[in-house]
Amino acid sequence: MDYFIHSRPSYSLAEVTLYPGEQLVTESGAMAWMTDNMRAETSVRGGIMSGLSRRVLGGESFFQNTYEAEGAPGAIGLTQGQPGDILAYEMDGEELLLEKGAYLASSPGVSTNSDFQGLRGLFNEGMFILRVSGKGTLFFSAYGDIQEIEVDGGYIVDNGHAVAWDSTLDYRLTRARKIRSFLFSDQIIMEFSGRGRLWVQSRNPRSLANWIHPFRSVQSSNDG
Amino acid sequence: MDIEIAENGAFGSALVHLRSGEQFVSEAGAMFRASDNVDIDVTTRSRSSGGIMSGIKRMIAGEHFFFSRYSVLDDQDAEIGLAPILQGQVTLIECDGDARWVCAGGSYLGSGVELNIDTQFQGLRGMLSGESLSFLTVEGRGPLLVNAFGTITELEVQGGLTIDTGHVVAFEDSLEYSVGKAGGSWISSFLTSEGIVLHFSGYGRVLVQSHNPDEFGRTLGPLLPDRNS
Repeated sequence: MDYFIHSRPSYSLAEVTLYPGEQLVTESGAMAWMTDNMRAETSVRGGIMSGLSRRVLGGESFFQNTYEAEGAPGAIGLTQGQPGDILAYEMDGEELLLEKGAYLASSPGVSTNSDFQGLRGLFNEGMFILRVSGKGTLFFSAYGDIQEIEVDGGYIVDNGHAVAWDSTLDYRLTRARKIRSFLFSDQIIMEFSGRGRLWVQSRNPRSLANWIHPFRSVQSSNDG
Repeated sequence: MDIEIAENGAFGSALVHLRSGEQFVSEAGAMFRASDNVDIDVTTRSRSSGGIMSGIKRMIAGEHFFFSRYSVLDDQDAEIGLAPILQGQVTLIECDGDARWVCAGGSYLGSGVELNIDTQFQGLRGMLSGESLSFLTVEGRGPLLVNAFGTITELEVQGGLTIDTGHVVAFEDSLEYSVGKAGGSWISSFLTSEGIVLHFSGYGRVLVQSHNPDEFGRTLGPLLPDRNS
């Protein structure tokens, strides 16, 4: 398998070349284009229950597509829904946690499981995360630029900006200190601690949605 | 203090490195990452710029009511990442203390605590036009971070220049400016929602953004279901 990520970081597209017999598992909807010798198989990877938990808990799609090149090398172009960065990460037996929606694709040796983060998730719609382990290439994506941070001790990330992190890091959701106003209901932050790598995105889709909200028309009162 | 601008195409951001004892101020909510020795304090004002009333002025000006103020809690170095909501470039202006800068309401991202920030309210004409005609004045010597929707171009005004208010990011106070209309009468300007413009004259720098955030909002808003309030 070879890959090249075009137009980083703003409008990234991962072009992956598969050699005959090689497979790539992708998030459904991630395929932008492919050569005509690529065979796609849609499956509920890991069985129905695992698929269900991924759908319900991880925010990823229930179905995943597995692509395989037949007869000759084939290529596939993958992107996420929002403009932004894509990272290719070589897994070598370690474990990463991925924020809801960040998973794009992986080679078959990489396994994904949804994980309910318990009480840490009380504040946040996105606290169901994907636990990724195994060996192979993992592609994950973000809205905006992806920045890598080496955490040694502690680090703070605004809610909605964490994309992926080493499972060696512990984290909790907390309110920013000294918040004095009801106006800031969204000042919930993630506090990471321990030692490991953390990837954050420089934009937040929810903030964009909130920004656009006031431009929507106001429903007239007699509409019911 | 040291500020890194991530020149990352459509998604600019700033990483502010603070030493022990240093502080920084940003638009509330602009922080997306920080080292854990940073204290985030939400304040109604930035240094001597006037408390609650000034905060209300800022609210009218379309700017967040609060600023976030960051302080380093221990004797280690600290960092804060700041980013705007929309796609676009982030730029650092080193204010030299000679000329004040005037920053459009939505373009302010953050500044050093040594800079004094106040609101200029443009009054009824601005309100009538439906455009958010609000400016923050930035005075003193220190770093000022501004963000744009799209890319930022620096224009040197020599004589006169007319710019749609939705495209103005910041300009030097050495410039004279007046609020005007793009063409026709005020009524026709209002009815056609054709842009309110700023007429600049004199000498000084203006930063303009390639896209107008309000236009973007007005393009997308009506395509969404009505809101209740």
